[in-house]
Parts: sequence; C-alpha cells; structure tokens
Amino acid sequence: LTTKKNLTTAFMLVLALAFVLPFLFMISASLKYSAEAFNDPLQLIPDRINWNNYAEIIHHQYYAIWFRNSILVAAVTIVFKVLVVSMGAYAFARLQFRGKELLFLVLMSTMMVTPDTTIVARYFQYSSMGLINTLWVLILPSLFGVYFLFILRQFFLSIPFELSEAAVIDGAGHLTIYSRIVLPLAKPALLTMVLFVFIWSWNDYVNPFVFITPLGKQVLTVGLQSFQSEYFVDTSLQMAGVSLSLLPVLVLFAFVQKQFVEGIALTGIKG
Amino acid sequence: MATVSKPHAGVRGVNRDRGAVILFLSPFLIGFFIFDALPMFSAVAMSFLDIHALSGLSDWSSISFAGLRNYAKFFGDPLAMSSFGRSFLYSLCYVPSLNIAAIVLALLIIKDFQFKGFVRTLIFTPYVTNIVAVAILWGLLLSPFDGIVNQILARFGVTQAPMWLYGQKTSIPTLAGIAVWKDVAFQMVVYMAAIQNVSADLYEAAEIEGASKTRQFFSITLPVISPTVFAMVVTSIINSFQNYALVRTLTNGGPGDASRVAVLNVYEQAFEYGNFSYASAQAIILFLIILAITVIQWRGQKKWVHY
Repeated sequence: LTTKKNLTTAFMLVLALAFVLPFLFMISASLKYSAEAFNDPLQLIPDRINWNNYAEIIHHQYYAIWFRNSILVAAVTIVFKVLVVSMGAYAFARLQFRGKELLFLVLMSTMMVTPDTTIVARYFQYSSMGLINTLWVLILPSLFGVYFLFILRQFFLSIPFELSEAAVIDGAGHLTIYSRIVLPLAKPALLTMVLFVFIWSWNDYVNPFVFITPLGKQVLTVGLQSFQSEYFVDTSLQMAGVSLSLLPVLVLFAFVQKQFVEGIALTGIKG
Repeated sequence: MATVSKPHAGVRGVNRDRGAVILFLSPFLIGFFIFDALPMFSAVAMSFLDIHALSGLSDWSSISFAGLRNYAKFFGDPLAMSSFGRSFLYSLCYVPSLNIAAIVLALLIIKDFQFKGFVRTLIFTPYVTNIVAVAILWGLLLSPFDGIVNQILARFGVTQAPMWLYGQKTSIPTLAGIAVWKDVAFQMVVYMAAIQNVSADLYEAAEIEGASKTRQFFSITLPVISPTVFAMVVTSIINSFQNYALVRTLTNGGPGDASRVAVLNVYEQAFEYGNFSYASAQAIILFLIILAITVIQWRGQKKWVHY
C-alpha cells in the first residue's frame, strides 16, 4: 500500500510541476543575461547568475509606483468592501424589513449582468464623477459586490439566532451583535473573502486599462504591459518584471492555501 | 446551506430594527445604486441613442434618438456577427475541457499522497497569476519560431510545429487552452468538495456488487455531483464570454481577425472608434445571448441534474 502511495505522490508531483513549468522558465530567464535567455531553455539553472535585471527594475521610472498603487488599491478595497458588504449581509440575514426577499432576489439577479455590458456607460458616468485617472475608479465601484453579499448572508444565517437573542435580552443593540458575535463567528468566511478580494484587485486588468491613462498613475498589471513593450528586446528584464509582479500573491497564497481551499469548499464560492 | 434557525417573533429589539436596517443596509444599497444599477440603466438608454466620439456627452443637443438603429446595424455588420460566432467557438473549446480537466484533477487530488499542500499550491499558481504576466509568459513560450515549446517539439523531430497564437485556426483553441490552465485549479477545488461529500456507503455497495472504478464514477459519483457540474457549467459558460483581458493581452484579436471575439469588438467600437452607442447595443445583445443560454440550461437541467 505504501508503494501505491509513493507512486501517487510521484505522479502528483510531476503533474504539479507541469503546471508551474512556465514559471520555472520565467525565473530562470530572469536570472540569465538577456542574450542567452532562451538559448538553451532546458538549462534551468544559468551558468552565470545575473541579478542586474532586478536591480534595474527597482530603478525603473514607474515600476515601484505601480507596485505601490496596486498594494494601495487592494488594501483600501479590502477594508471598505469587507465592512460595507458584511453590514449589508447582516441586514439581509439577521434583520426584518418589508420587501427583504424581493430586494435580495433583485440584487442577486444583477449578477447575470456581466461587467462588459455596462463598460461604456460606466466610462461616461465615472468621467462625469471625476473618477477617471484616479485610483478611486478602481476602488469605489468594486465595493458593492453582490457576490459576497450572498456568500456572507448564507454564512450569517447559519449562526444560531439564539446567540443574538440572548444578547438582545442583555440589552445589546445590533451594532454590538454584529461586531461582537456575528463577525467573530464568521471569521473563516471573511478570511476567504479577503483573499479573493486581494487576488481580484491585484490581478484586475480591464478596469485600470480602460479607466486610467497616465503611466504614472497606473497599477502593476497595465504597467507591466507597458514595461513589456518598453523592453521588447530584453527578455530577461521582462521576465524579472513579471516575476516581481507575482511575488506578493504567491507568497500570500503559499501561506494561506489551506484556508483558501477550505474556504472555497466551505462557502461554495464559484468562479 | 445547513439548517437555519428562524428568528422568534416578538423578541424585544425587533422594534429597533428600523434604525438598524437603515444603518446596515444603506451604505451597500446607495453604493450599489450609484455604481452598479445606474450604469445598467444608462447602458440600455445609450443603446437607443446616437452617441459617438464626435457628438460627445457634453453637447446634449447633438445627441439624437436612434431607436433600434444600433441593433439593426449589428445584424448588417459581418465583422461584429463573426466575432460573436468566435465567442461561441471559444466557449465550445473552453467549457468542456475546463470541466473535464477539473473533475479529473479533483479525482486525483483526493487520493492519498504526500506533499498534498505543496502540490495544491503549485496547481493554484496559474490561478493567482495576473493576466498580463500570463500573456507575457505564454507569448514567449509559444512563439512559433524561437519559443520554448516549439524548440522542444523540434528536438522530438516535429518539423511542422503549430503556429499557436499566430495561427488562423489555432489561435482560439490556444487561447482557450491557456485559460483552462489558468482557471482549472478553482473548479478543481469545488469539484473536490462535491466528490468528498458523496456518501461512502454508495461506493461500498458498489464494491460488493463488483462494479469497476470507472463504472462507479459514471453511475455513482457523476450523478451525485450533478448539481455541482450544473452550477460549474453554467458559470463557466458565462465566464467564457468575458474573455476581453485574455484576448486583448495575448492576441488582440489576431492574426488578422482570427481571434476577434465579441467583447473585443465591443471595447474596440467604444474606445478606439468612439461608437459608444453602437458598442452598448452590441454589449446588450451579448448579455441577452448569455441570458438566453442560462435560461435554456435552467429549463434543461431536469433531464440530467439529480437533487
């Protein structure tokens, strides 16, 4: 039986390796001298390791700014989105008001409307609101996610109502119940939400591409694209730029992959 | 969803709900109205007007009512029509391969082996990678002449290696393949959770009757997880039509118009040619198509989904 387990382990490691092979080529090329970047692609460990590509990126006119902007957008989005959505979900899960079910249904049905449907209308609206070419255009519109409203509502519903009733008898208001009882008990769902919001925000391409023009105000995804055309001939430098852009998400993910995977299973989050 | 306990009526504090409802709900609702609902209404309105770069929005007097003209224009625009067709082709490549690959991976990942967390992290790497990085990487790897993939193929004696993203016939399947590689980890976890929920008793009974593993998969696992398959297929079809970032960064519709999909056409009409109303009309047609596909699937699910 252990032979079988060892065989499975070997097979799965090879399979997983196939998934990350492109990234291994990437890291390898980023540490080579440009001229020999893909001379012998199968030689993953270069003869001479070249760190200059990374040094050059740090001194790039914009790269650090893009990086900082991406971090800023992700951080602010996470804080406000978790707050606004969890409060809304609390109202739908734990409060009584007329038309609740209908309102929820209407909100849910808007999930069918893909972002592409409204892209032109949003462009005009954001420009009349003065949001174009600011980081707010990436933050504000992404805060009111119906998707996580649904996930958190489901999760809040599963928290026993007896707990909040006991708190009400003790004289607690809804703010106390929300912050002292519901939120702490919903930690796994909230953590999953934070991770997803981070990944989506960090990797968003279409919104910054459409709504932000000046390179000095860009975020990393679109910046990376301009970086690529700027150093079209220097493959090694491109690869170093790409590698650095993946670093925060990969590091974060490596640490929390267990919770992440459990969170998807737990909350039934879909795509 | 697990069992949900209902709040008892008449509990003290319910009377205080009114203020609480306003406090908790208004931030979300106001924001949703401004940033999500309003654009939906104006998208529809725009599609019936005539707004283009020359008229602009500042000069209201120059905006005229177009009625259904923008919609009629679509049906006389071969480039737009064919781009919608290409979106279907992409969907046809992407959805089955994504779901089959995800189920196979899920069946593998639930097996007993070492370094499971490590393996999972590696499989998830493409999923957490941004699309521009994906495009730069695969663009280099799949370059027809000096890309690594074709270099390796050449070592194995393949002389007529595919053009991949640069091929008239291969660009759409290649794009779909890259998207599957990027997205599959997520579907894998959802399928994994579903498969692990299948009752062990069912398999035991099948073992006793001597059913093979393949037989067990098709007559036990698949029917039991069919609600998950349904949900995953529905969402992956919807997602497959939202591939602007992928196509824009990898091929930008090329070679020629070989990978010009519906959304690429919409964005180009709007932001390159300034035909804002026409672009909105196309986007709404695309939405209606996605809606129709989803409704048809809901109707058809009785035939194969077992709840």
